[in-house]
Amino acid sequence: MKLLLALVALVFATPMLAMPALADCPLDLGRGTGWVIFSDHYMLAFRPDPVRVEVGEPFALILNVCTKNDEPAELVAVEAQMPEHKHTMNYKPTIAASSDGRYRVEGLVFHMPGRWELSFDVRAGEETERLSHDIILK
Amino acid sequence: MIRRLLAWVLAVAATAGAGVSAQPLAQPLAQPLLDWTEEEVTLIARHGPWPLPPVRDPSNRVSASPAAVRLGEHLFYDTRLSGTGQTSCATCHRPDRNWSDGLARAQGTVELDRRTPSLWNVGYGPWFGWDGAGDSLWAQSIRPILDPREMGAGTGRVAALLREDATLACGYEKAFGDRPGRDDERLLVDAAKALAAFQATLVTPRTPFDVFRDALVNGDRVAAARYPLAAQRGLRLFVGAASCNACHFGPRFTNGEFGDVGIPFFVRPGEVDSGRLGGLARLAGSPFNLLGSHSDDTTGEAGRRTRHVQRLHSNFGEFRVPGLRQTARGGPYMHNGSLASLDDVVRHYSEVSPDRLHSDGVPLVRPLGLSAEEQGDLVAFLRSLDAEVPPRPPVPPLCP
Repeated sequence: MKLLLALVALVFATPMLAMPALADCPLDLGRGTGWVIFSDHYMLAFRPDPVRVEVGEPFALILNVCTKNDEPAELVAVEAQMPEHKHTMNYKPTIAASSDGRYRVEGLVFHMPGRWELSFDVRAGEETERLSHDIILK
Repeated sequence: MIRRLLAWVLAVAATAGAGVSAQPLAQPLAQPLLDWTEEEVTLIARHGPWPLPPVRDPSNRVSASPAAVRLGEHLFYDTRLSGTGQTSCATCHRPDRNWSDGLARAQGTVELDRRTPSLWNVGYGPWFGWDGAGDSLWAQSIRPILDPREMGAGTGRVAALLREDATLACGYEKAFGDRPGRDDERLLVDAAKALAAFQATLVTPRTPFDVFRDALVNGDRVAAARYPLAAQRGLRLFVGAASCNACHFGPRFTNGEFGDVGIPFFVRPGEVDSGRLGGLARLAGSPFNLLGSHSDDTTGEAGRRTRHVQRLHSNFGEFRVPGLRQTARGGPYMHNGSLASLDDVVRHYSEVSPDRLHSDGVPLVRPLGLSAEEQGDLVAFLRSLDAEVPPRPPVPPLCP
């Protein structure tokens, strides 16, 4: 019985123990249907809205960006291109910061099936870096 | 007990095994079915199911309203919507010609530079017209009514017609809930919204391809094998080596966007048709675009593409990717009607000059170098996207 109680206590305690880390650099958007990408300095978590990206259908990205050493970081630009064909999207996304520290990137449309490379320009202080992630659409 | 259990397990296993292997033997295939890979089946599945759910346009408050569809159908055939009183929407978008006119170039008060596009499945598109200058079907419906080269009716003429013709005024009240008011521009837009509601009902029927696609997805090899072998080979090219599905994607066989496919853009010596580039300029300058006050969408969702679309140098000479359903019954082809038959279209893609097309990367349009048999297979596949259309019932009376 004691063992069972200890297990229950551990299960309920685990999320609470994890909370401070999430608050510092919330990467929860990357879980399940999202992605987490990182470089030596930055971490970025994002998920699409709607969850399933369809060819030719507008979608948004909801994302967090942060640095590994807890400096404030911001999202500067988002682009996407098909590297094989060297063409971009026909649409220019806009970035809006929300009060919870997340960004919402609106106006993305992948108009062809195949490999799309998403690029994120992020900045902390004077330093800017580009992180990228491939999405293959079928 | 254990023996009995073992016997039961063996019996079940044997039955299941027999079920799987016996099916092909019991029903031999009528003709060979290509050995479709899982990847190919996934790609083919994306071209269905068909039909799609009916169109609901949030920017048009009477979208899918039966009363608006009826008013729109009456207006579609009404020659009083033109300056001369002799031209209606149906003059060029003829129901007996697949909602086009069979001409290489549209004929308004003058000959135009582009072909009359078919209206089949038009309600599902995000962009309208060959250059996408319209971002809604109702905005696109206004353009030919006002264009002096096409119907050339003024805003006041349309508004007066709705106000003064008792039957149309009655139809308007049924569709919009009020008698026609004094605001001419609003009445023009409402007439266009009724026209759009009607046009959005023009949906092509299911085709032999749809039967094949569903059978393939459901693993019904017997039904799938009824699809002609030449069409199967053409489909394999379409989603494979020829990569036609890069642009002709989805259930309508179009991604709804624009491309330069190597058709000359000179309309006459010294004059070019800039295609999408000019269309985007007209879209931005239109008081009827989805960012304007005439949209009925209060969420901002309908204007998402219009808000974010960008003008690119590469838009020059691009034209809207047409859907391919029912296309073999139409023709001529391409935005300027320069190719007479489907065979010509396939030959164009087989022999297109790479010098004409500019691409830094792997070109999306390139000379495919198809054999005569392969060209025939592609045409056979394209023809399988057609079906007989049941005769249209007479236009119902607007107000009995």
